[in-house]
Amino acid sequence: MSLAPPERAPATATPAGRGTPTHTGRTRPGRRRLLTRDSVPYLLIMPAVLGFAIFKAYPIADSLWISLTTGNGDDRHFTGLANYQRLLDDPLFWTALKNTALILVVQVPLMLGLALLVALGLNSTKVWLRPLWRLGVFVPSLTGLVAAGVMFSVILNRDAGLLNWVLSAFGIDRVNWLGSPFWARVGVVLVITWHYTGYNAVMYLAGLQGIPNELYEAAMVDGAGPIRRFAAITLPQLRPILLLTVVLSTIGTLQLFDEPYVLTGGGPDNATMTVTMYLYNNGFKYFDFGYASALAYALALIVSVLGILQVRLMGERR
Amino acid sequence: MPHRLSRRQLLQLVTASAAGLGLAACGSNGSGSGAGGDGDSGQITVWSWTTAAKALRAVVPSFERDNPGIKVDIQDVGEPAIWDKITVGLASGGKGLADVLHIGVDYLPGYLEKFPDGLADLSKLGADQYKGAFAQGLWPTVIGEDKAAHALPWEVNPLGLFYRQDYFEKAGVDPADISSWDDLIAAGPKILSATGAQLLGLDKPGTTQDMDFFQNLMQLQGAFYFDHDGKVTLASPAAVQALTVIKRLNDGGLLADIAGQGTWKRLVSQGKLATSPDPAWAVEYLATKFPDQSGKWRVMQPPAAVPGGGRSAIVNSTYLAVSASSKRRRAAWRFIEYALTKPAEINRMFTSGGVFPALSAAYTDPKFSAPHPFYGDQKVLKSFVDSLGSGSDATNFTGDYTRALKLASDAQSQVLLKGADPAGALKDAAKQLAQQTGRQQAA
Repeated sequence: MSLAPPERAPATATPAGRGTPTHTGRTRPGRRRLLTRDSVPYLLIMPAVLGFAIFKAYPIADSLWISLTTGNGDDRHFTGLANYQRLLDDPLFWTALKNTALILVVQVPLMLGLALLVALGLNSTKVWLRPLWRLGVFVPSLTGLVAAGVMFSVILNRDAGLLNWVLSAFGIDRVNWLGSPFWARVGVVLVITWHYTGYNAVMYLAGLQGIPNELYEAAMVDGAGPIRRFAAITLPQLRPILLLTVVLSTIGTLQLFDEPYVLTGGGPDNATMTVTMYLYNNGFKYFDFGYASALAYALALIVSVLGILQVRLMGERR
Repeated sequence: MPHRLSRRQLLQLVTASAAGLGLAACGSNGSGSGAGGDGDSGQITVWSWTTAAKALRAVVPSFERDNPGIKVDIQDVGEPAIWDKITVGLASGGKGLADVLHIGVDYLPGYLEKFPDGLADLSKLGADQYKGAFAQGLWPTVIGEDKAAHALPWEVNPLGLFYRQDYFEKAGVDPADISSWDDLIAAGPKILSATGAQLLGLDKPGTTQDMDFFQNLMQLQGAFYFDHDGKVTLASPAAVQALTVIKRLNDGGLLADIAGQGTWKRLVSQGKLATSPDPAWAVEYLATKFPDQSGKWRVMQPPAAVPGGGRSAIVNSTYLAVSASSKRRRAAWRFIEYALTKPAEINRMFTSGGVFPALSAAYTDPKFSAPHPFYGDQKVLKSFVDSLGSGSDATNFTGDYTRALKLASDAQSQVLLKGADPAGALKDAAKQLAQQTGRQQAA
């Protein structure tokens, strides 16, 4: 079943200015046919476009409107940029932004560095049982976010948790993981790193396997050592994937919600409050949907700016 | 090729399904809110949680027998999941909500304020005749801005102090001598050195935002985050006094940290806590969770937050309401009325789910003056009923309770973890609360 053969087109659905004049274009006068070579692709993407329009575009547009209003239930009235103004004066918003930035700056490089090391290990032909290791590395990212959070809240429990029990076996004092601002942040970083390192490692692994062996062989002939080969071949060849993981991880971290929600509830004293958690609180706990929508747009703006910057800085130079 | 779909047919299929999707979207957009009806029969669904849902199920057989034509489906939605479900339902104009909703006093004023058309007007259905039937202070909480009732009180939780009689005895502390938290703070070190048990547990980093103890200490002084005009009182002398009591307990080493899942339960079962200030529902909770500690616990009226101050407080209360979008509002109201205003039914729920009734007529039942074996045959329920009779006022939770809760929890964490000064921490919190909510601070 092929698409319309070339000799039948163009039909009436052809955009004006293309093809032959209309009065000669009709093969069967009086019947407008929708199915042409030009229209079929549109029809094929229609379900996806409709789904996007209803479940994404409409909420996105509507929340822009809501962010410019205030009020309860259906009784909303326009307030202009008041919600955005309030955002700038809200100390908790800045705290949340600071926390998110802190986690971003510390966690993303840590995780991606770790993932790269793991990928190099998994790519080595000297490692036995590679499929098993690969599976083991990837499995954490299959765990549900909330399940991971609940599991770690048990592991990090101060008095009965596994981690403190292990630490005490080495004579290290119990750490108040979720009860002190510093350690709570470390706890959140720990959970995200556990959860996503394997995922990124698998992406790097795919990238590593795409690097032609000839490059390494040539370099070895030229006398390049392993570190030189890593810096001069592996890293540049991985650049597109590195960029992808950095952008994805940045977006993911900026939208961080589940782990601190389950683990710390944003505490203690807002040490792990993220922008998305603050957004959730405003919308679904305080019913302040106007302000929550403004937060969402502020976050979207930050994500886009950071994303563009990263692509500019790390992308292919032309 | 007879079975192959022609391109024209395929096209028609795609257009048809696309049109269907579009129509469906229009349909759900077009119908708006308040599309409920006053149906008097059919199936009604009820959202509640855990033991309360269990309690409601106990009423269903007799209700369905007395009200042929109405079937009741009780759903245990879980708590706190139920709040998100109700919030989303109300925010989308009542779509997908159950007919009857079980709502706590911490959420009810918020719903009434933010979604004035979300919960059905029960005064129209005859609720006002029960105005005087419930424990004092509860009726004002069900009234919306339209002066109509939008819920009926079900559960009320007067505060009590549960304590380990054996520990007090061992430390030579006479419970009768304890009349304020000052007395208890003085007795704490004796109990600690004699038994190794701290006085009570608190979630110090505020992971769960359980601020009941701080609230109780304010409620004992007749105060709360807001006064009755809705002004912010989070920095009032009563609030500062409440947080100071907590700070002194902490500084004296009498406060255990119960952050983390199951920590409180573990500490109690290990005998590491000598008291637990808890509402009435804890009577059965303690008895069923720690059966091996039978005979060791007693209950007294809560100590006053200031020497010589009041010793009764209503911790919280819960309600049943009808969603305005229900197609069977009358049937739903009949179920609520049946379950909550008949002493026999409400006491049946008390027995099966441990929900302490708000209905005053329920207290004449002999079970409220019966000795309880877990508490060494003390008449524990009677002490709670007496406490209700001593006239504690209702607390004004307002629609901004959750914001106040969050800021108070932060202030408490600052005091307990970073050694902040209670007055200073509360002053900052009150200022933020006023800023966020547009409310004034009380003078």
